[in-house]
Amino acid sequence: MSGYVEIAIGVIQALVIVALAPLITGMMRKTKAKTQKRTGFGIFQPYCDIIKLLHKDEVVSDQSSWIFRFSPWVNFVAIGAAAFFIPVFLSNSPFGLVGDLLLVIGLFGLARFFTMLSGLDVASTFGGLGSGREMMISALLEPALFLSIFLVALTYGGTNLSTLVGAASDSPLLPHPQLIFAAIAMFIIILGETGRLPFDNPATHLELTMVHEAMILEYSGKSLALMEWSQSIKQMILFALIVNIFIPWGISSSISVSELGIGFLAFVAKISMFAIFVAWFETSVAKWRLFRIPDLIAIAIASLMIGIVFYFL
Amino acid sequence: METIQPDILTISAAILLIATFGVVARRGFLDWLNAYRLQSVVLAGVTGIVGYVTGIWEIYIAAALTLVIKSVIIPKVLTYVTRRLEIEFKMETNPYVSLRTAVIISAFLVALSYFLIQQIPLKSDPVASTYLPVSVALFLIGLFVIVSRRAALSQVVGLLIIENGLFLFTLVLTHGVSLLIEMGIFADILVGIVISSILLFRISQTFDSLDIGKLENLRDD
Repeated sequence: MSGYVEIAIGVIQALVIVALAPLITGMMRKTKAKTQKRTGFGIFQPYCDIIKLLHKDEVVSDQSSWIFRFSPWVNFVAIGAAAFFIPVFLSNSPFGLVGDLLLVIGLFGLARFFTMLSGLDVASTFGGLGSGREMMISALLEPALFLSIFLVALTYGGTNLSTLVGAASDSPLLPHPQLIFAAIAMFIIILGETGRLPFDNPATHLELTMVHEAMILEYSGKSLALMEWSQSIKQMILFALIVNIFIPWGISSSISVSELGIGFLAFVAKISMFAIFVAWFETSVAKWRLFRIPDLIAIAIASLMIGIVFYFL
Repeated sequence: METIQPDILTISAAILLIATFGVVARRGFLDWLNAYRLQSVVLAGVTGIVGYVTGIWEIYIAAALTLVIKSVIIPKVLTYVTRRLEIEFKMETNPYVSLRTAVIISAFLVALSYFLIQQIPLKSDPVASTYLPVSVALFLIGLFVIVSRRAALSQVVGLLIIENGLFLFTLVLTHGVSLLIEMGIFADILVGIVISSILLFRISQTFDSLDIGKLENLRDD
């Protein structure tokens, strides 16, 4: 009986991530607008955008192959599947038996691979530029990301997300000084993975510096909606990971209605605070030149190296 | 000897290292000063912790002096003396070792200093075994900042980092040398910083550059 309840909660957690993802994007846009003294759209605008795009017709270039039509679905399915492994308000996700953090990263890699291919596929100049930049950034980000995962896994004993988050919620932050370094590095990595400001400006269209927007420039209608939605889900997953690993207060470890409610409210509060912080941070930095981006990633890697030194002390 | 939570020691050591990396990873003089200020505040806190652990009241005075002189007076003096320098003299635009390599090398230096200190038997003194590697790392990183950069102002900042490392080193090994010597060192540092900044200002006036690579050339006039 409790098995079914756990599975139901696991499905609900994934649906929460998928459903709340555009809201987080909207909140970040609103925060950015406010810090720039603009009014901005309401926080529900991304939902309206998605609904509008779903009703529109699609224009597909006749030069493109099946990859172009295929990749929004691959994106959405891969990232949506990754959402099932993320503990949101219950620390042990029932799907943890099937996959761990490495699988989540692998699914992200699959989605990113198809996005880059579709950018190249339509043979527009912007798409090629965007794909090239994305390849460079992701090739540099991947080692840093794996190093940070290994540091966290060493600390909490395992890459299984349920073990990780469970151990994190049982122990306070203080006994693990190496996690300070892991958190710094993870923050830089997440800015890069979600295309935030020192790496890429998510608000630009038709600018020479864009990375992610350049790859999805040719999309319209339903495909564009899927692409943008899956990008929001990916952002939400990464935020949920950093929030649940580094600030695990309030997550529930047993199935009872009151604890789950508290866990859900705590999760929403934490992730909103984190999203607002990221958006505020974004307005306080400028976009870095593309060839200075390795500097940022070098900072992340150096921080992780010191963290590992602290672990083996 | 009072006992103290070992986590507080480790976490303050970690924050000290993070502040040091603020100098290695940034390019502007004011950013370095901010990082140095943060480092000095943490150093004052560390000094206070050592004072609490050892129970010697003189160390508290040293902590207060660190807080006042290193985190307030020295940054203020440096900003005041360099206020009329051109902005391009205050940036490290073309270092000998690029920033990303410098950051990675500094991480290796931290690992090296931890490795070196582990060879020394410290008789399980938690204060010494926590802060001694950090002090050696500060020393090495300061030295690396001095040799790897062209802008003359970063030599000053590297010197300040080295001084912080040495201060930490003597503090944790000897549990505070006599207060008179500490005050002498503080006065020495203050005067040294003032003299070197005035010297830098003169160099920038005479040579129209603060690139130390250019100072090595022979001039004939």
